[in-house]
Amino acid sequence: MVERAPTLDFICHAILVLGAALICLPLYFAIVAGSLTIADVQKVPLPWLPGDQYWANLEAAWAKGNFTRLFLNSAIVAVGITVGKVAISILSAFAITYFRFRFRMTAFWLIFTSLMLPVEVRIVPTFEAVSNAALPLQWLIDALDVGAWLSPLTGKRYEIAIEWNMINTYGGLILPLIASATATFLFRQFFLTIPEELCEAARLDGASPLRFLRSIVLPLSVSNIVALSIILFLYGWNQYLWPLLFTTDKDMATVVIGLKHLVPRADMEPAWNIAMNAALLAMLPPVIVVIALQRWFVKGLVDSSK
Amino acid sequence: MAKAAPARESGLKRAHFREPRTAYLLLLPQLLILALFFFIPAIRALAQAFLLADPFGARSQFVWFDNFTALLSSPEYQSSIWVTVVFTIAQSAITLFVAVVLAFATDRVVRGRGTYRGILLLPYAIAPVIAGILWAFLFNPAVGPLAHLLHALGIPWDPNRNGDHAMILVIAAASWKHICYDYIFLLAGILAVPQSLIEAAAVDGAGPILRFVRIVIPLLGPTFFFLMVMNFVYGLFDTFAIVDAVTRGGPAGATNILVYKVYQDGFINLDLGSSAAQSVMLMAFALVLTVLQFRYIERSVNYDV
Amino acid sequence: MTIARRTMMAALAAIGLAAAPSVQAQQRIEIQWWHAMGGVLGERTNEVAQRFNASQTKYTVVAVNKGNYDEVINGVIAAYRAKRQPHLVQIYERGFMTMLLSDAVVPVHQLMADNNYKVDWDDFIKPVAGFYMHKGKLMTMPFNSSTPILWYNKDHFEKAGFGKPASTWQELEKQLYEIKAKGIAECGSALAGDYHWSLIENYSAINDQPYATKSNGFDGLDTELLFNKTTVVPQIARLKKWLDDGVMQMAGQGFSPEQLYTSGKCATFIASTAAHGSVERNAKIAWSATYLPHEQGVTARNSTIGGATVWVMKGHKPEEYAGVAAFMNFLASTDLQVWWHQVTGYVPLTNAAYKAAKSTGYYDKNPTREIAVLQLSRGTPTANSVGFRFGNFTQIMFAQRQEFEAVVAGKKTPQQAMDDAVRRGNEILRQYEKLHAGKY
Repeated sequence: MVERAPTLDFICHAILVLGAALICLPLYFAIVAGSLTIADVQKVPLPWLPGDQYWANLEAAWAKGNFTRLFLNSAIVAVGITVGKVAISILSAFAITYFRFRFRMTAFWLIFTSLMLPVEVRIVPTFEAVSNAALPLQWLIDALDVGAWLSPLTGKRYEIAIEWNMINTYGGLILPLIASATATFLFRQFFLTIPEELCEAARLDGASPLRFLRSIVLPLSVSNIVALSIILFLYGWNQYLWPLLFTTDKDMATVVIGLKHLVPRADMEPAWNIAMNAALLAMLPPVIVVIALQRWFVKGLVDSSK
Repeated sequence: MAKAAPARESGLKRAHFREPRTAYLLLLPQLLILALFFFIPAIRALAQAFLLADPFGARSQFVWFDNFTALLSSPEYQSSIWVTVVFTIAQSAITLFVAVVLAFATDRVVRGRGTYRGILLLPYAIAPVIAGILWAFLFNPAVGPLAHLLHALGIPWDPNRNGDHAMILVIAAASWKHICYDYIFLLAGILAVPQSLIEAAAVDGAGPILRFVRIVIPLLGPTFFFLMVMNFVYGLFDTFAIVDAVTRGGPAGATNILVYKVYQDGFINLDLGSSAAQSVMLMAFALVLTVLQFRYIERSVNYDV
Repeated sequence: MTIARRTMMAALAAIGLAAAPSVQAQQRIEIQWWHAMGGVLGERTNEVAQRFNASQTKYTVVAVNKGNYDEVINGVIAAYRAKRQPHLVQIYERGFMTMLLSDAVVPVHQLMADNNYKVDWDDFIKPVAGFYMHKGKLMTMPFNSSTPILWYNKDHFEKAGFGKPASTWQELEKQLYEIKAKGIAECGSALAGDYHWSLIENYSAINDQPYATKSNGFDGLDTELLFNKTTVVPQIARLKKWLDDGVMQMAGQGFSPEQLYTSGKCATFIASTAAHGSVERNAKIAWSATYLPHEQGVTARNSTIGGATVWVMKGHKPEEYAGVAAFMNFLASTDLQVWWHQVTGYVPLTNAAYKAAKSTGYYDKNPTREIAVLQLSRGTPTANSVGFRFGNFTQIMFAQRQEFEAVVAGKKTPQQAMDDAVRRGNEILRQYEKLHAGKY
């Protein structure tokens, strides 16, 4: 601080208190609504203080939302996305920075171009891709007419039909989301800062590339990996459109989707008390992560956007 | 940040391996997934955009640019573009402005800084759809406490009937969720401003606000540019869940942003051709934003080196 | 490399190199049935499957709720494209054309004939069966059919000195305004979520107004919407006026219109007869129901049905279709229909079931339960009241609702809005016609 400016400092505090209040307001009312009975939650105006039904509603929300199962699903999906993204991004960043090969720049640009194709703009065809991930292989088989080759062997003509349906599977929820240009760039940028001597030394020792990756690059990357993992965990946990489309089985939905089903629609009982309670439940894991790992989280966010 | 040697062969280490086969293997998982879930679907969206097709797949016709011309001449699509523009710009501006004010204030205060920051970061953890649900509840004309407050003030608040109200609500929810993002970057940027510059200005008699406007903000130029682009990306693509939770694009299409319309036409109305044509248009938007983003990356790397 | 292994295995299985698991003779054949019924109706639907399973030993029908109607039709399309379709799927009446011309279904009359069931199709209640017939044959098995009726609060009408709701819109309007003015009820009517069905489509049928050319689409794909040139426009204007005057209330997200009625806030509620289950359970008021109103000076015609049917999907084995046919036969049986009608409020599927219910004195005890059947067969049907048959009907309805919302928001006049709805709807119809030319 260069000089003292008590008035300005006071105003700053006032602004921050106001900002914090604005952030907390919806959360506060979620707690209030989540602790009322269904009759009280429909009262106009809504009571401004919490009621005593919080735990009862929590139990009801947990049971109604099938949350035992859905929390497990969300955890698997979020961790799967995190691990998968980090893994394939490190591998491809390593390949791009540490290897000289013919299609290096092509690969780089292919990964980069994927930024232009957010999930939202290709939902319909991606849905088909997830319904049958083996479709491209099928086209290949049809194009090459593999069925015809087999006929001399067996004397019969076969139609070869392959399919790999990923709707309602963890694979379908995880795999399409683990490609990442941004994570690849993050690691690429970081790898560029690793001193050249390390690699030279490793090569003099005759270490294989994978050995070098495992014993030098990975240990150096730990802090980046942790920071990025936090961001990716939040990203995975909070996915909406993807699980909305790719799960039709209620047991394969995620917590966020389960919550959506609890929100009263036009022709439902207005059980906002249950819905709000469930909303608090669904946001709990990521909120804990952000609060507990704030420093790492900020690093991850800033790094991954560079 | 690329503090090391400027990329010689654009991003290749001086000390590197020459085992192409290993490199291909390392790249394989990423490229395979990109092919399956990014490139092939995108190409198919492109192809589908020229077809009139039955959803069950039994029949399809090649219709040249019919889907595009129908789209561009449709008042509903034009209105959706307009809605998207209003929404994205309002949301970006509000988010950025509030974040600047909060970041400035956070930088000034000493006591409680960590607590403030902790609270302000919370929305980042909250799923967009949950943010939408919370705001939908607060302003629900029947049961929402804040809607009640507005009614008490004599404002006939009803986002289910009034399109402007619906738009305000969606913008508020989307901004609430995204302020923390801009805030983190601005705070990091402000902290990175060299103390010597600030002190020099202070010696010249510039007060805190003047210093902020004259020195800090210009230095944050690239960050602002970056955040503007990111806010646009957010507004265009990441707000699907908020709209779905708050208004479902209504009433009368008043909040039917482009991404939501793609989903609605494709998945609810089963109009695959039009939906695909809309996807292609969105890809074009995304292309522009990506180019802008890339220019930032390029520039920030150059500055740092 | 799971990918490679799984696809490889799939390929091997497909070309018959892997041994197929042998099916044991005693094992029950499983039949998948996707439906869209939630809540109490969902429980009843699952009970239908359980009853069938208990009635024989060869087949097991597995009833699965796959979300709401939109989600179910999307789900089955995706499943069909991925060759994972269920045997049976419940699709709303709006999806009739989509299913009919999809090349993905087996018409129910053909299924029954193939499996040697003799069904007395003539005994099916006309307004129900007529909606789902194509070229004189039933294409899909009606499951839950309903029609909108006028629910009212007896106390409100008695206190105001009317006794019961008037039979014309003009008289009813006066009554509702008076009920509100006298402070007997806070609002005259609650606007149902499916108002397009009750207040526009059924309104057109009852008042003999053409909704579209070619008998509302029954006579050809080249049908054109007409509802911007009929009394639908003043009807929309009337609803808008009611809404503006607070005589009609619209429930927002998270607040059900039915509740506005069952809580005693609104004096009437125009909604499906299938609301019987929940009205009986939730209403704390003296409720009753009657026919939908009609315009002054018009002879009221029959209303039309809404609801859903069970479609048979292509691509399964003959022995499975035998089970599907057995289940269909079970669905149409009188016992099941009487039970279903009474527990849900949906209309019975056959005259036999209707007569069986009547002979037990059921309607004497529950007079409102009969209104739907009577209203469906009121007057002589005309080309304007047989029903609605449009390709991409969901999309057309969606456009119409959007335009109605624009009227409510005060952005468009009723005439402008219905003109736009018709323009948008006709574009959708022309697209459908182009794609399916010669198939209907």
